[in-house]
Amino acid sequence: MLFYVLSRKTYARNLQYRGAHMVHNIASALFGFIYTSIWTAIAADQPLGEYGSAGIVSYVAFNQCSLWVAAFMTNGLGIEQSVRTGSIALELMRPVHLFYQLMCKEWGQVAYQFVYKFIPIYALYAVVLPMYIPKSLMTWLTTAVALILAGYLSICINYIIGAVALWTTESRWLYWVNHAFSMLLSGFLIPLEWLPEPLAFIARWSFYPFLHYVPTRIYLGMSSPLSLLGSLAWAVILTAICLGLTSLMRRKVEVQGG
Amino acid sequence: MMSGLRMYGLLFRASIRSRMQYRFNFWFSSVMSAVISIVEFLMLAVILLKFGHIKGWSLAEAGWLYSVLSLSRAIYRTVANDVHNIESYLVSGDLDGLLLRPIPVLTALMSRNVSIRFGEVFQGIAVLVVSMSALIREGQIGWLSIPLTVFVIISGALLLFSVGLLTASAGFWLTRITELQNITEDAARTAVQYPVSIYPRWLQGILVGIIPVGFANYMPGLFVLRGDTGWWMLPLTAGIAAALFTLALFVWRFGISRYQSTGS
Repeated sequence: MLFYVLSRKTYARNLQYRGAHMVHNIASALFGFIYTSIWTAIAADQPLGEYGSAGIVSYVAFNQCSLWVAAFMTNGLGIEQSVRTGSIALELMRPVHLFYQLMCKEWGQVAYQFVYKFIPIYALYAVVLPMYIPKSLMTWLTTAVALILAGYLSICINYIIGAVALWTTESRWLYWVNHAFSMLLSGFLIPLEWLPEPLAFIARWSFYPFLHYVPTRIYLGMSSPLSLLGSLAWAVILTAICLGLTSLMRRKVEVQGG
Repeated sequence: MMSGLRMYGLLFRASIRSRMQYRFNFWFSSVMSAVISIVEFLMLAVILLKFGHIKGWSLAEAGWLYSVLSLSRAIYRTVANDVHNIESYLVSGDLDGLLLRPIPVLTALMSRNVSIRFGEVFQGIAVLVVSMSALIREGQIGWLSIPLTVFVIISGALLLFSVGLLTASAGFWLTRITELQNITEDAARTAVQYPVSIYPRWLQGILVGIIPVGFANYMPGLFVLRGDTGWWMLPLTAGIAAALFTLALFVWRFGISRYQSTGS
């Protein structure tokens, strides 16, 4: 119940800015278009392995859409801000666990972004790009599960980023560093098998591929749904870290003033 | 003009002093922004190392395009940071305070919250040196290309500043411009980080003719790196930057005369 109330409020708050967000979708769609152009140019001279030139365009285009579910979260779930205003003390006192409360709010954000960002950009790409569209219902369902898990992982990561602010007061830079590494290691632009060795090794042992590479390959019918076990494992690990961090936070909290 | 520059210098230094009060934060965020921009370049480098070239552009050439643009942007954002952040002034009504000061609004705005972009400068110079020394060793370009590159960077900084100023001026009518900036500044700049020839015709047309950021690196690059087009490309590049700058200043002045405060 609380989940529903909190997430619906975030969703409703975002609705106020629908118009601006639609304009922003143009920019976001353009970014994806830039990335697909890079691959189209490369594919003009050589075959691209199991993806092929049509496959890689669908791969990158779908990643660009799924950014809005699996990557663009509220910066550190807003913890950094409440550390600076001091309201973090109040948040920690509430009868609901901080992680649960912030997660519920963020799911409202993700749901909004799915409806007003993911779907419009996806629809545009389906029209203007040679986009692969799965036929089997099973693929759609497993892709949805993969994206939900990716969204959850991303919420956990942002919670951790936000929690760092209790020790450093500022964690905005961490958000952007995470974003940059995510672009490189999640297979967002470059499928993991084409990364050079040290990077591929780091990527394989991190949670990043489960944000983009795994969901998109499931969407393209290239990976079996079994790879979702990896997403689940990371979800458990990151949840444990988030819960552990919260109990540390309770002892660490310093009020900065209001 | 002279006294305006002196005033700008004075305010610029004051702004740096105030930023240096948080010394650790300053250096730490500089290092982080260097990491971020290196990782961004890595994405392109990984693709080119794996596949050799993109539409005939080698890694060294693409590195030149990329780093020239980074350096131009670093200059623009260092000398005029808050032109990019004008929206917060418009929404909160803080611009009223700047209007009251006895110096031009643009000078006041440019000298606030100065952020020296060491991270991007470091990344830009490193990639530029590696790319150019590879090209010089292969004999593709000569020593003359070094002053030409400096010229292109400065002209590009003026061009990016003009695009930023034009977008900021739109704020006098629109108030909220973040979304517009996403298109004219972020998306357009990201597009020209890669050789413009990879895009379909209509997008090339936009990047050269409508939001002419292609002239910040790709168009002059054709001449500096490959001797394509002709020497006239350089004066044309500077001319376009200067013309856009004049236009931006004009629109800015006109916009200010139409400014309506949102109140505070």
